Amino acid sequence: MSDTICDKNTFSKIYNSYAKDLHDYLYYKYGNQLDINDKVQEAFIKLWENCKDILPEKARAFLFRVGKNMMLNEFKHKKVVLKYKEVLPKNYTNETPEFIMEQEQFYQNYQKALGNLSEEQRVAFLLNKVEGKRHKEIAEMLNITTRVVEYRIYSAFKLIKEQVKGFR
Amino acid sequence: MEDDNLEKKWLVNDLSDAEKEAFDKLDDAELNQKIIKGAQQFKASQFSSIEDLETFKTRIDSEKKPVITLQAYKLAFRIAAIFVIGLGVYFTFFFTNITTIETLASQKTTIELPDASLVMLNADSKIAYHKKKWQSNRALKLTGEAFFKVAKGSKFDVITSEGTISVLGTQFNVKSRENYFEVICFEGLVRVSSNNQTIELSKGKSIRIINKKTVSEIVERTKPDWLTDKSQYKSVPLYLVLEELKRQYNIEINSNKIDTQLLFTGGFVHTNLDEALKTITIPFNLTYKKDSSNKISLYTIE
Repeated sequence: MSDTICDKNTFSKIYNSYAKDLHDYLYYKYGNQLDINDKVQEAFIKLWENCKDILPEKARAFLFRVGKNMMLNEFKHKKVVLKYKEVLPKNYTNETPEFIMEQEQFYQNYQKALGNLSEEQRVAFLLNKVEGKRHKEIAEMLNITTRVVEYRIYSAFKLIKEQVKGFR
Repeated sequence: MEDDNLEKKWLVNDLSDAEKEAFDKLDDAELNQKIIKGAQQFKASQFSSIEDLETFKTRIDSEKKPVITLQAYKLAFRIAAIFVIGLGVYFTFFFTNITTIETLASQKTTIELPDASLVMLNADSKIAYHKKKWQSNRALKLTGEAFFKVAKGSKFDVITSEGTISVLGTQFNVKSRENYFEVICFEGLVRVSSNNQTIELSKGKSIRIINKKTVSEIVERTKPDWLTDKSQYKSVPLYLVLEELKRQYNIEINSNKIDTQLLFTGGFVHTNLDEALKTITIPFNLTYKKDSSNKISLYTIE
């Protein structure tokens, strides 16, 4: 039997390669208002249902398109508020209360800034800087050019900087 | 601006060593670094993660999604389409010719399987199996509730979204509803696998999982109550009892004004709605009103 997605081994490889990426993409784009894992599973189930008609090399594009469409139907157009982990200073007792408050302010503004970015800017920036994805990879995931990816990262950065500048 | 260009290049990791030196000397250098480092605090995997591959595989095998959609009301058409297409694929060992039998609300039926095993389906339930392959592979999928009289023979599997029940020739009842999973063995031996636990039930033993809490019980009856048009409950949340009432009588119930978490011990008949409502409402000091021929509202007595 040739190498179609219907082959469980091939499918497993695809799952292991793209499930996390799809999850992160949807999470950074839409925040946590819907169960992201649920949508990712639904997308893979759809891929499995259509396994006969999709070539392995087209699987990623299919998954991202399906995932995005699923979210579009249910996504409530509220501002995206991404959670952040509290930064515990290394030497807790040494930090002054003012410093801790400044940190808090910094992250609150960061959070707001991320929410104010366009979905495209936010996704490109976070996939690159948090997940370490190369520009080329992001370009393939989103079906755009690397030029556009670089531009989005750059404009995201500038906008974030604008908003967090007051709070060093 | 020169600084701007440097910044741009730094952002895309495109700096030569000399440029890097210049960049680090910028006023904003510290802030720039802080922003990049700070991004890490928003990392997705800290707050949300995906299932592993094995868990995903059980989703495909146990057809979780479509079972829920039978009772769900959102996106009915799109999901119904997935379900219809999916049915052929989810049964990875069934390719064509699946026999499906379904009961509606207030309907019960008896089915004879190719090996003379009997399945009695309660209201709003469904089984699916492969007729042609039955003799070599006795496995069927169940949503809802059914009583099985299994002819002696090779393994007989009942697959539900909550777990798989395997038997060798016996009589048992399986109830797989939303938030309520129960298996009662009336004769013989039954093996229940659910959520990484496996338990064997002999005659008179039952296992029940309500809202993820497992309860084992000894049962006195020799047949499930619903076969004689009654439902019996012991310490079951009222909302689950009301669900079954709706199913048996094909009615809607408005229970917004009462506490449906209260535990109910008792029963109701399937043949007389007024009597059924009385036996459910009286113990809780409730009363009911018929808004129309098939709509009931429940209230507390003031």
